Amino acid sequence: MFKFLFKKERQVQELISKYLDNLRSTQEHFEKAMDCYFDFGLGENCDFLITQTHKFESRADDIRNEIIEMMYSKVLIPESRSDIFRLLESIDLILTHFETVLFMVQNQKLEVPDFIIFDLRELMRVSLECCDLVIRQVEAYFKRTEDIKPLVSIIDSLESRCDHMEREIVSKIFDADMDPFQKMQLKDLVGHMGEISDQADRVSRSVYIINIKRRV
Amino acid sequence: MTSLLGGVFLGWSLGANDAANVFGTAVSSRMIKFWTAAILASSFVLAGALLGGQSGIETLKGLTRFTSDQAIIASIAAACTVTIMTLFGLPVSTSQAVVGAILGVGILNRQLNLAGLVKVVVCWIGTPVGGIILAIIVYKLLAGIANSMNLNIFQSDILLRLCLIIAGSYGAYALGANNVANVTAVFVGAGMLSASAAALIGGLSIGLGILTFSKKVMETVGQKLVRLDPFSALAVVLAQAITVHIYALVGVPVSTSQAVIGAVLGVGIIKGVNTIQRRTLVHIFLAWFLTPFVASVLALSLDFVTHLRYIPG
Repeated sequence: MFKFLFKKERQVQELISKYLDNLRSTQEHFEKAMDCYFDFGLGENCDFLITQTHKFESRADDIRNEIIEMMYSKVLIPESRSDIFRLLESIDLILTHFETVLFMVQNQKLEVPDFIIFDLRELMRVSLECCDLVIRQVEAYFKRTEDIKPLVSIIDSLESRCDHMEREIVSKIFDADMDPFQKMQLKDLVGHMGEISDQADRVSRSVYIINIKRRV
Repeated sequence: MTSLLGGVFLGWSLGANDAANVFGTAVSSRMIKFWTAAILASSFVLAGALLGGQSGIETLKGLTRFTSDQAIIASIAAACTVTIMTLFGLPVSTSQAVVGAILGVGILNRQLNLAGLVKVVVCWIGTPVGGIILAIIVYKLLAGIANSMNLNIFQSDILLRLCLIIAGSYGAYALGANNVANVTAVFVGAGMLSASAAALIGGLSIGLGILTFSKKVMETVGQKLVRLDPFSALAVVLAQAITVHIYALVGVPVSTSQAVIGAVLGVGIIKGVNTIQRRTLVHIFLAWFLTPFVASVLALSLDFVTHLRYIPG
């Protein structure tokens, strides 16, 4: 009935959907780039996919800025504005970790030894599963499509699994007979890959808290 | 017409100050534009004054007998009290200033409707108490409804904004119905105006105050309310509006600010937090005693000054 009065709210809602779609695309390209790296090492294809991931990350920044600009032009009540603002900032850190991992691999010309490739792939798979669930949770929060509480505990258990895997991989690296400099480089890479699930868990908890906060 | 200036000034300052209690939250948080709020508030104040202002006018004019001069003195004394106390940063209520000035006139006339005065004083005490009780009821009721609706952040925001606009408009209606008597009742008592003309002039002067001078007050007073969460702010505005409307029906002008303070306290009780400083409560008590005292002393002094005659030596 009053739809014509709240055009800007609908525009913000549409932009958030667009942002989440873009997050999915960034994640897909990150996954492709990492698979390419694990399968064939650095090369033209991998560089192309890294550039594509970077483009999607930049696009996410643009959409996020557009949302923030629109929100602060008298859309939504101040409390909702700051909740959404902080949520977007937190989601953005996941994208930053995608980029950091890819740039590390590309700029430091990292060579991953065969004995940890399987473990790294598994770490990446579980981390990205966390991200999928976070996107689903954020969508559920904005569209009220499902209860978000069960997703919080699933993400939490996946994040714990990632932490465990991270520790195991680091331990394998330091048990191996390798150049100490390469060990430090790989430890850094594993740490940044682990940060993806950590950040997804933080986003998930933020969504949960924002949701509880709005109950009166 | 110039004899009504004291009342018009009183109405103007009332509009400039009290509109913040009904639309301050929505405007200072930029949920609605100042001009939308100002136009809505002034229209509903006028509607309230015309449709519901009569019984307050009857109560105030019945507190004592007035001559035309005394009506003018009472309105000027009340207006000066509000201005002086505001300038000194002292707690003040227009309703209490007007009753204080009428009290001064009543002392001069040696005729005071004590039953009417007791009714007024009881309602003053009942205003913050009513605010507390109604805020608790309104908060619980609205919370029950809000929690049963599965709304997303955008839907609940839209609903909250609409409710704030509706509650603000209702608050403005209640303000007009309740407080118009403060502005022009003394002139009805003196036979200078009919009750409906008094309601019209009073409503227009309050509306003028809202349109010309309420922006800054809305932004500053509103920000104090915004420190509450938006849902609590809605409960406060609605509880305040209902409280003031009830007293409009009873026919006693009360302080909207004191109703707001009561409502904020009520929300604090529900949430288990201390929302009001002890200083604010001391200010209410001070306003109850200090405002009528200053206004009646001013009315007596003005009457004394107007009766001074030069006797050549």
